[in-house]
Amino acid sequence: MSFLNMRKKSGPAHKKAKPGRQKTASRRKEKKEHTKAEILAAALQLFQTKGVGNTTAKEIATKAGIAEGTFFNYFPTKEDLALYFFQKGIDDLIQWYDRQGSLKQAPIEEKLFAIIHRQLEQLKPYEDFIGSVFFRSLEPRSKLNALSFESQENRLRYLRFIDGLLKEAIQRGEIPDVGRLGAYGVGLFYMGIVTFWLHDMSHGKQKTLALLDRSLVVATRFLRKGGWEWK
Amino acid sequence: MVNEELPEGVFLRGFRLGKLGVSLTGSYLGYQIQNLFLHGEKKLEKGRSFRHGASRQLRKELERLKGPVMKLGQILSTQTQTFSDETIRELAKLQMQAPGMHPTLARAQFKSSCGKYPEEVFRVFEPEPFAAASLGQVHRAITKHGEKVAVKIQYPAIREAMENDFKLLRSAMLPGRITGHFPVAIVDEIQRGFSEETDYLKEAANLDFFRERLALFSYLAIPAVHRDLTTDRVLTMSFIEGAPAPDFLASNPSQSVRDLIGSRLLELYYFQVQQVQALHADHHPGNYLFKPDGQIGLVDFGCVKRLSFDVAELSRCCVARSWKQGKAQAEHVIRLIWGKQVPFKQARDMLSSVEEGVDVLFPMKTGAAAIVDFGKPDLLKIFGRNLRQVLRHKLTNPEFAFLSRAELGLYGLLHQLKSRVNTLEVWEGIVEPRQRRKT
Repeated sequence: MSFLNMRKKSGPAHKKAKPGRQKTASRRKEKKEHTKAEILAAALQLFQTKGVGNTTAKEIATKAGIAEGTFFNYFPTKEDLALYFFQKGIDDLIQWYDRQGSLKQAPIEEKLFAIIHRQLEQLKPYEDFIGSVFFRSLEPRSKLNALSFESQENRLRYLRFIDGLLKEAIQRGEIPDVGRLGAYGVGLFYMGIVTFWLHDMSHGKQKTLALLDRSLVVATRFLRKGGWEWK
Repeated sequence: MVNEELPEGVFLRGFRLGKLGVSLTGSYLGYQIQNLFLHGEKKLEKGRSFRHGASRQLRKELERLKGPVMKLGQILSTQTQTFSDETIRELAKLQMQAPGMHPTLARAQFKSSCGKYPEEVFRVFEPEPFAAASLGQVHRAITKHGEKVAVKIQYPAIREAMENDFKLLRSAMLPGRITGHFPVAIVDEIQRGFSEETDYLKEAANLDFFRERLALFSYLAIPAVHRDLTTDRVLTMSFIEGAPAPDFLASNPSQSVRDLIGSRLLELYYFQVQQVQALHADHHPGNYLFKPDGQIGLVDFGCVKRLSFDVAELSRCCVARSWKQGKAQAEHVIRLIWGKQVPFKQARDMLSSVEEGVDVLFPMKTGAAAIVDFGKPDLLKIFGRNLRQVLRHKLTNPEFAFLSRAELGLYGLLHQLKSRVNTLEVWEGIVEPRQRRKT
């Protein structure tokens, strides 16, 4: 209530103080983001040591140094936490790719390999968490479901990122024009690889590496040959 | 080239692609089949250069001894009628090769095996490989202490893929096993060899062993293993200078250097057989590094044969043609080669073929006539004929599968080098040990 009041007081009457207000708002946003990241880090650490099933919201809150109620303010469910985890993952992926020098000149199959491998490396410490999230996402009502309203933002960011890479490859004449289907294809392929990765018991996930490499090499070769119009 | 032969119908093309997909990771043969499609042009080029090369005879003979993959390829091709003649011919050329790795995959595979990325453990790591190795590739690097090293990285999951192939091979070979043309012991022996080859820790142990046992040959360099950067799939070792045999030959070395290297290679081979009872069995020309002064570098100890039968005694009998001295001596040699169970008459016939080879390899002559000119293809021809005869008469001995591969490989290399060697002199130098010349 007091929070609402404060907002009312700092309403239109204080328009002249706009820069200061903006600063405060951005600081508040920053702080909020910081707390969210702290909660996520605490949760992931606990998932790693105790497992997803054995970790309670109270434990996460205590570890992050906040009240349990605050935790629920930020993340009403564990699914929201997972959605935030994926959002951060995509942020990290795009920033990481921007920093890559020689990779940007590499053929598309190597680029896609590097990107998916980077994603798997992100997931690696949290395999248990990802496993439970992955199977939850198959439920139609889950927020993590590919068709859910909540997951669209992450999904679209990823698709746009991949679409950009494919467009570059098309412009460079590496592959024929695959349109928007290309990005959807890569998205689905990534889901398939994650499923395989979760089930891969080989040392160092060797089989996943081989599958990822061979699939991309064969698929790009297939596209270069003109897909079904192979001549 | 292979692509052009693909059938026209969409259904058939789809079928082929489906097959390709099925074999994506489950089979080593799968990799090989993909290579056929992916590097068709390259392979054609290779094929052409092969045909022009002096190693044509060598290749033809080596193909008969190559791994399970080729055998499986042949069996598949004859049973399923799926492949064209050209593809079958290509399958027959297969060697122990894995698909190439782009820098990102090599880096990922290094991390998967060693737990860290190459740039975290080396001062410099070249992302592009400088050589292909059996089932992987080799990168140049410099350690944090400034030492030049070679880092061999294996293609991911190749061992699992080969294990699958052997399972298939065993089922597919049932008819051969029943008729006795292909005893199961041979498959066991080949599998043992190949699975050792996929474990780089075993190779590291082999390197240590041979470095110690062959230390007295000052003209020989064998890489030293960096244990802290070695796992079953990554092998870090000291960098050996020198040109691989094909490059060395292209530099047109003088005849005296060719002869010197030839006699040293034979000396090393006889020494391993006689004194070490184990030998470097992969005589791929790329595994030899030569310098213009006749120094030899030996790399890739993945394929090593430890001899469990008295090959030293057998060699002595062969050089002396002891079977000519009477039935008892002939029986002795036959037992040494094939054991007690072998039909005597067929084995006796085989001995005359063996003798033909021994006559070329150790001519009972003196002076200039005692020098064997490996540039002539006689020895390889006889060797190839003998191998065919062995298979026809079911006289296969699993112990010989790798020994023959090593011996044939060595003679093939000497043939390429066109070395002229007094083989008997080299042989006697080993049998009657003397102070070795230090160079």
